[in-house]
Amino acid sequence: MKSKFFTIAKRDYLAIVKSKSFIIATILIPIFWFAIIVVPGVLTAIFFQQTEMKIAIVDKTNKGIGKEIVASDPTAFFIEFSSENQLNKKILDGELEAYLVIDDESLKNNHVIVYTKGGGGIGFLAKIDKVVGKTFRKKLLFEKGLDTALIKQIESDVKVETRKVTQEGIKKDYSEFYSFFGYFAGIILFMLIFLYGGFVMRGVVEEKANRIVEILLSSVKPFDIMLGKVVGLGSVGLTQILIWLVLFAIISLFSGQIISLFITPQPSQSSISTGLAQQNPFPANFKIPPIPLEFFVFFIVYFLFGYFLIASIYAALGSAVDQEQDAQTLIAPINFIFLIPVFLISLMIANPNGTIPTLLSLFPPFTPVLMVARMSSTSVPLWQLLLSVVLMLLFIWLSVHISAKIYRIGILIYGKKPTLKEIFRWLRQA
Amino acid sequence: MKALEINGITKVFRDKKAVDGISFQVEKGKIFGILGPNGAGKTTTLRMIAGVFHPDDGEIIILGENSPEKVQNKIGYLPEERGLYKKMKIIDQLIFFAELKGVSNSIAKERALYWLSALDAKEWANKKVQELSKGMQQKVQFLATFLHEPELLILDEPFSGFDPINVEVFKQVLLDLKSQGKTILLSTHIMEQAEQLCDDVCLINNGKVVLSGSITEIKSSRQMDTVLCEFTDGKQLPQLEGVKILNKTQNRIEFRFDPSSFNFREFVKKLAENVDIKKIELSAPSLREIFIDEVTKGGK
Repeated sequence: MKSKFFTIAKRDYLAIVKSKSFIIATILIPIFWFAIIVVPGVLTAIFFQQTEMKIAIVDKTNKGIGKEIVASDPTAFFIEFSSENQLNKKILDGELEAYLVIDDESLKNNHVIVYTKGGGGIGFLAKIDKVVGKTFRKKLLFEKGLDTALIKQIESDVKVETRKVTQEGIKKDYSEFYSFFGYFAGIILFMLIFLYGGFVMRGVVEEKANRIVEILLSSVKPFDIMLGKVVGLGSVGLTQILIWLVLFAIISLFSGQIISLFITPQPSQSSISTGLAQQNPFPANFKIPPIPLEFFVFFIVYFLFGYFLIASIYAALGSAVDQEQDAQTLIAPINFIFLIPVFLISLMIANPNGTIPTLLSLFPPFTPVLMVARMSSTSVPLWQLLLSVVLMLLFIWLSVHISAKIYRIGILIYGKKPTLKEIFRWLRQA
Repeated sequence: MKALEINGITKVFRDKKAVDGISFQVEKGKIFGILGPNGAGKTTTLRMIAGVFHPDDGEIIILGENSPEKVQNKIGYLPEERGLYKKMKIIDQLIFFAELKGVSNSIAKERALYWLSALDAKEWANKKVQELSKGMQQKVQFLATFLHEPELLILDEPFSGFDPINVEVFKQVLLDLKSQGKTILLSTHIMEQAEQLCDDVCLINNGKVVLSGSITEIKSSRQMDTVLCEFTDGKQLPQLEGVKILNKTQNRIEFRFDPSSFNFREFVKKLAENVDIKKIELSAPSLREIFIDEVTKGGK
């Protein structure tokens, strides 16, 4: 005889996978993530230090600083010889957007004043800061007698490249990319766990509110109902992740071509565009660096662990209420605990091998999100991974066990919304 | 042979005893009715028998086993508050519930299609529950309780929500199932239905059994105290004192009397003098009356 637990899991799986919203979400979510992760980065990279404002320069020195500023970015700056009163009038009349006064004091104190109608934007200030600052520094160094080649070297930024030592020899390391990746992998994992945990809770509440659960209880043991639901919906999550991984694999194969569609190589004649190239996280020949297979394996394993933990708790709490809204107050404290690791991701990335990050990432409710972040930032020792698996399994066993007891009682109690305290009292009855 | 033996089951919710030591037995192949007013404990009793929850005390011997969980596949249960998955197709839903009772997918599908067409509902098969009317959902729910051909059906208020035509359809379904040797346990508060359908009944009130036995037994144990009389003109009806009028129209009266103070023969004589009698009948009280007697007696 086929297991009834399987029948329940199959129904819950098909109910979601066959729905239009699942198919749409599977397609739209990666696009959405791409949009929130990549687009703002690209836009900031392109438009940072960009402004359409024209800035007049009133140069009261006779050192030609004004001319040099204009030379470094003629699109934004121009020399103006009118008096300040006339310029103020022009600003009020709207003929001029901004002007900048440079005198000998400015050079001495590294201080300039910009006059505008008010505001102007961050790009505007950043541009002035960059261009004026650079010109001032050059000028000072030049006055001290340094030659132009040396000044140029001082002005350029140091480029840090990383290499990693592996069994197979020295390899190119993409530390920055991996940290960035780890951050988003952690957040995506967190979101997925809660998305699918939420499905379980909704499913439990639906069955209870529609009284389907009475028929289920006359056919199947409560433990099998709960577990069937958790496994069925978890399989939906697994299906979705696998679809995304395949998509991701395809995209990374062609990442260079795809990204070059969005970012055209910058012309390099002006100093602004060299500044831009340093800001741009995706150089023109960018390729998504290789991500080790075991990362994906553990991503899936930790998804399942985190999901099982949350889903069993959600199933128990869902069973205690009559409608979904009532569940919110019950799950808030639980959500809070599971939200903590999201704020700790940056700690994992900053110092992935530290003692505190290691201990935090071994605490089961934190493990999925934090381990994924750590794994992408460093190579986590195998014993730690195995220990985290053992700890999580213990924790899940405990949670499923307790949740099943709560579920058995909660699923048939209608009416008054219980508090967490009352729910724990049921445990003693069970 | 007994399909079901209930011995002193009790269920307490918070401080209230919903079911307080109920015992009864159901013969195999019979239709057994649990009767009682709202809140008497009918639903709680049926839920315990269906295995939805355990009694706090007492014993349920069901199809020879001591726990409903051991015979889940042989029980069909229709809960008082019906429930189906709103977004699931009817056919998938019926198959799902049958599969949960251990029927294979293909057999479940075959039976579901057979019954849907038998009930003139074949075109619903691919509709979702939310597209159906309440009555149609009710039919689907009813089907789900016996597609797995259970030996014992537990039906909580099976006819509520049906129009009179469908009530007749499903009464016939139940009688057919009975003739196939299935045992049916149902609860109702509509006594006429119980009287027409049930072999045995058990009347419960405030969680306790107040009366049980076969309908014929119960009725024959009562005094003949109910009069039904039809006549052509009721304007000059004799004075009726010390009787309980159950129903009175222009040409028809139904009442119960207290035999110690009411003389039936005298009444008939007087009546014949005053009106043209078309029909007069003296009988035992209806189940409904017995029910009310018992419940009000218990309430005192």
